[in-house]
Amino acid sequence: MNRDGWSGLALLALAGAYYWATGSISNSTLEDEVGAVGLPHALALVLALLGLVLTVRGVVAARAAAGGRDGDGEERDASLLRAFGFLAFGAAYVLLLPYLGYFVSVALLIGSVALYEGAPRRWTLPVAAIGGALLYWAVFVKLLGVNQPAGTLFEGLFS
Amino acid sequence: MTTFWDIVHLLTGTPLIPVAIMGLTWGILGGALPGISASITMALVLPFTYTMDPAMAIALLACVYIGAEYGGSIPAILIRTPGTNSSAATVIDGYELNRQGRSGEALGISLMSGVIGSLFGLAMLVLLTEPLSWLALAFTPPSYFGLGILGLSVIASMTGGSLVRGLAAAVIGLMIATVGTDPISGVTRFTFDVPDLLNGIEPVLVMVGLFALTELMSQSGSTTLTQLKDSVRIRLPNLAMMNKLKRSQTIGCILGLFEGLTPGGGGSIAAFMSYNEARRWSKTPERFGKGSEEGVAAPEAANNTVASTALIPLLSFGIPSSNSTAVLLGGLLMHGLLPGPRLFEQNPQVIDSLYVGSFVAIIAQIGVGVVLLPAAVWLVNRPRPYRAGFIFALILSGIYTLNMSTFDLGLALGLGVVGYFMRLCKFPFLPMILGVVLGHMVESSYRRSLVLSGGDMMVFLQDPICVALLLAAAGFVIYSLTRELKDARKAKLEEAHG
Repeated sequence: MNRDGWSGLALLALAGAYYWATGSISNSTLEDEVGAVGLPHALALVLALLGLVLTVRGVVAARAAAGGRDGDGEERDASLLRAFGFLAFGAAYVLLLPYLGYFVSVALLIGSVALYEGAPRRWTLPVAAIGGALLYWAVFVKLLGVNQPAGTLFEGLFS
Repeated sequence: MTTFWDIVHLLTGTPLIPVAIMGLTWGILGGALPGISASITMALVLPFTYTMDPAMAIALLACVYIGAEYGGSIPAILIRTPGTNSSAATVIDGYELNRQGRSGEALGISLMSGVIGSLFGLAMLVLLTEPLSWLALAFTPPSYFGLGILGLSVIASMTGGSLVRGLAAAVIGLMIATVGTDPISGVTRFTFDVPDLLNGIEPVLVMVGLFALTELMSQSGSTTLTQLKDSVRIRLPNLAMMNKLKRSQTIGCILGLFEGLTPGGGGSIAAFMSYNEARRWSKTPERFGKGSEEGVAAPEAANNTVASTALIPLLSFGIPSSNSTAVLLGGLLMHGLLPGPRLFEQNPQVIDSLYVGSFVAIIAQIGVGVVLLPAAVWLVNRPRPYRAGFIFALILSGIYTLNMSTFDLGLALGLGVVGYFMRLCKFPFLPMILGVVLGHMVESSYRRSLVLSGGDMMVFLQDPICVALLLAAAGFVIYSLTRELKDARKAKLEEAHG
């Protein structure tokens, strides 16, 4: 299956899930002719049709090309893993933010992302991470007055 | 009606001048970073505007856009890597001039042509936008429905060669817009008992997720070296050179005006068209591609003109014609400013600040552009791993600023994943953004119209503005599809002829 085929199947799955989720929309006494489910139903239908078109196109093209993985498949898998590895640091930041607080979380984020992206393990790495965290803390918390989490572990230290 | 004293008050009684210069500075630095487009530069700063006065916030975003258009030409000239898409045409002769040891001259021509283009664009923006907004008083719910459909018709020109993918992206955008509280009945939709979703998904999260996070994910592991010479200095063109460049700058301004007004036109198309036309009308066309000053002036005048004229359809009708104007639209929505005709009626201070702030930024660009070049060079020369860490931290810090919510952070990361897969499968982003920002207007005005007419669909054909807008949308879709088919046929023919 090629890119069209996979995209089409993903759209069909999304359309199905979205349509299923419309079941949780309750009725209202203020309901108009179209109703709260009118547009969602129409969107699910249109997306399913578009998904079907892409799937059919993908199957036809795959048959014509005699199937198989394309040459740069492995390269794509590697960059996919890399990209998700990158995003995992963001997810870890979100999870740790309430506990470690803004300053420590940002320092860890800058340092770990830089390391992941190939920064050499030298003294510059922790300096950049701590310096960056200090800069952002000064800008966001002190200058802009954003109430970034102080963290349950270090409460009172950076608030 | 804005008076002279209103302008004086804006300049002296508000922080407009520092805001404009800050926006310009951020725009130049962001635009100079390869891979960080004008829209990403704007999306990065968008969350910070949340707590600002709306007038200052919109002026800041417009100034970032102006700065990014110039900033993009710095790496285009110095390392043959356009910082923004619209500076791609500048690479051709800008880099050649750099190779000949004339990088300072090329940067000076780019800066001054950009200033001329921006001033022309701003004049057109001021002259054309207000008359178009006079239609405001006649707008009814069916007219707004027509307006929303006209906005969505831009999708036809933004499908990136695949109409099905473009439409699917738009539908996904519309689906995101349905999350939250139903505009007519007030029932909740797709909130899954999560209180953070009651007000829907903010367009800014979608923009930051799609543009900024997706770009960072895609660039992960990239080892491209972008080293600029530290010693480079701008050399502004003298009067004789400016006289020589006036023809190519005029071409850039005129084409920039038309492309800015055309939904889906954008700075890149304007820049390449201007480059071609400047070569056609030049007295020395043979120098193009070999380090022609006109080859730098024309595209730079064009893409800077577009930075202002693209705001005409946005401010008059609420139609974003490019990623950057979509981000600006996100800024308007974030501050509860209804894009389109009513903006002029209800929030004239926002428009005045945008105009005056843009003017300040354009003029300041000459000084800031010269002063900031070493800083831009320093920033571009920072090691990519550190840059990635700092930008990622900046994005996440900015998102948290919106609602002080970690849920928003998770949502933006999720949208980054969606964007990454969309990019992998060649789905364009702009249709999705348009779906998100216009979805609410299209649905609520459609349903309100039907409520008012007692369910009679003829209400849409009885409103002359709605009919005109729907016809314009149909015409635009037909024109875009015809152009796409023609381009595809031309490409096939060229392929057949080797």
